[in-house]
Amino acid sequence: MSHTQTIDIDSLLHKDGVHRRVYTDPDIFDLEMDRLWHRTWIYVGHESQVKNPGDYFATTIGRQPVILVRHKDGAIHVLYNRCAHKGAELVGDTSGCVKAFRCGYHGWRFDTDGTLLTIPLEDGYKNTGFCRGNPDVNVQKVPRYASYRGFVFASLSPQGPDLKTWLGGVASSIDNMVERAPEGELEITGGVLRYVHDSNWKFFVENLNDLMHPMVTHQSSSQTARIVARRLMAKDDQVPWAVEIFSPFSNKYSFFEEMGLHAFAHGHSYSGGKISIHSAYSDIPGYVEALEEAYGTDKTLEIFSENRHNTVFYPSATIKGPIQTMRVVKPLAVDKTLIESWTFRLKGAPEAMTQRSILYCTLINSSANLVGPDDYEVYHRLQQGLQAEGADWVSMHRHMGEETVSADGTIEAEGTNDIVFRNQFKAWKHYMTAEGG
Amino acid sequence: MTRIASPHQPLPNLDARMAEKFLYHEARLLDEKNWKEWDALFTQDGTYWMPASADQPDPLNYVSLVYENKLLRAVRIERFDNENAHSLQPMPRSVHLVSNVMIDAYDDQTGACIVSSRFVVFEYRRDEQRIYGGDYVHDLIFDGVSFKISQKRVNLVNCESALDNINIYL
Repeated sequence: MSHTQTIDIDSLLHKDGVHRRVYTDPDIFDLEMDRLWHRTWIYVGHESQVKNPGDYFATTIGRQPVILVRHKDGAIHVLYNRCAHKGAELVGDTSGCVKAFRCGYHGWRFDTDGTLLTIPLEDGYKNTGFCRGNPDVNVQKVPRYASYRGFVFASLSPQGPDLKTWLGGVASSIDNMVERAPEGELEITGGVLRYVHDSNWKFFVENLNDLMHPMVTHQSSSQTARIVARRLMAKDDQVPWAVEIFSPFSNKYSFFEEMGLHAFAHGHSYSGGKISIHSAYSDIPGYVEALEEAYGTDKTLEIFSENRHNTVFYPSATIKGPIQTMRVVKPLAVDKTLIESWTFRLKGAPEAMTQRSILYCTLINSSANLVGPDDYEVYHRLQQGLQAEGADWVSMHRHMGEETVSADGTIEAEGTNDIVFRNQFKAWKHYMTAEGG
Repeated sequence: MTRIASPHQPLPNLDARMAEKFLYHEARLLDEKNWKEWDALFTQDGTYWMPASADQPDPLNYVSLVYENKLLRAVRIERFDNENAHSLQPMPRSVHLVSNVMIDAYDDQTGACIVSSRFVVFEYRRDEQRIYGGDYVHDLIFDGVSFKISQKRVNLVNCESALDNINIYL
């Protein structure tokens, strides 16, 4: 895209601010797709979505259609969703199970690892080289894909760090979520919520660990939930899950400061740790016992000693470990972003744990919930407000320079530091300007 | 509960027109923003449910677009008047059209009946008009005079699609 080559990335970033164009300029969005989304590791799906041979899940990486599929030997592959013949998408629906992929156009059949199996009237290709045995006539695998404890990521660039190196310290958020399952395994369950926003993807990704916003943006839902609960509940009633879920959004500033932030290379971060908005949920009978039986008391305490809020695997995915939900980011245009929300079952845990996670997803992540729409509204107003030419720079000043860096490079800060944004834009700049991945 | 095989089948003590009028009344309360009176149409443990996929078996083990009991409806209704609910400024307006009302099942002993219908809802907010379509399944209790809602299920025809904010009760 030649018109994007003239964008001077350096001129869009200050150490304490970012130019409004990064959120509003369609040319910058195009460049982000090519250089960030089509290069770095992007979350594709969870292994539990393709349990059996032939199971597939169709999704996108940036702008490109891909298929996560389980081959008959049990291996997982990420293929481009494109017939090797004329280029039609091989599968048109989101998920299913096949013996082989059969293109709906000319009937070419491919194995679930992409290998070409049959061509109708194959003789027509004799002496052309465009036939079985030629690897170019297989459905192509994306350059790199790997799984970390069931979470499958892929990179459309053959270069760059491997998945584990790229995740670095933030992999511990996946570890903690997986360990919360007595059987040490997670499983996607309960369907998906798909919520489209009329705003740039970065507003969503930044907002997850912006701990100066919940008590303002979510005041109306959280405080109302507290007031209504007091009015409707009798003194000895157990606090309903819904009230436990809504209430902490309007905790005091001091609570969110204390939650703290951790930031890592490649733009990753998490908020919370010792405490988070998820740490005061009531116990579900049988759960702690199941964990203690699986891991022993000390390890169980260690697992619960980490209570993280949002973990961001920059730029495409975010999890909430203590309530086992995940949101996947799909940029559609400079001002259009799809967020898909998934729920995990902790294998070996009481079903009530899953039902609480399902309730959380419904109450917080659906298009018709009481919390998300106020975030949506803020992103919408950002997208509109940043059309204004009166001031070009968007602030990332807060508590600048007050973070600490440990020997392994992990950055630590109090919860309301803007370090998460500065750290995301550092990674953004790296991908937007580097030659390779 | 007896499945009603034909719309012409006479039902003891229950005139199909009454169910129809009740649904019109319910829709009108929503359009007039008379949410408290609307909420009072529900039984004590009545629920409002908008599934996130067609044929979703239940609201407990699968995510929903909305699943609200009395407490959650009270939160939403009270939030409608909250000056800090930014996504409700300006407040949306709506028009609910209800049609094709049929009584699917009826138990003349308990008064429990299942009423199905079709709907179109227009929502207007800030220069944008959105149109929702689908079908309702009302689980109602008929006491000989009027109805209570034990569940209102809203099946959006496009419930699986990528939806933006739905700020009103459909």
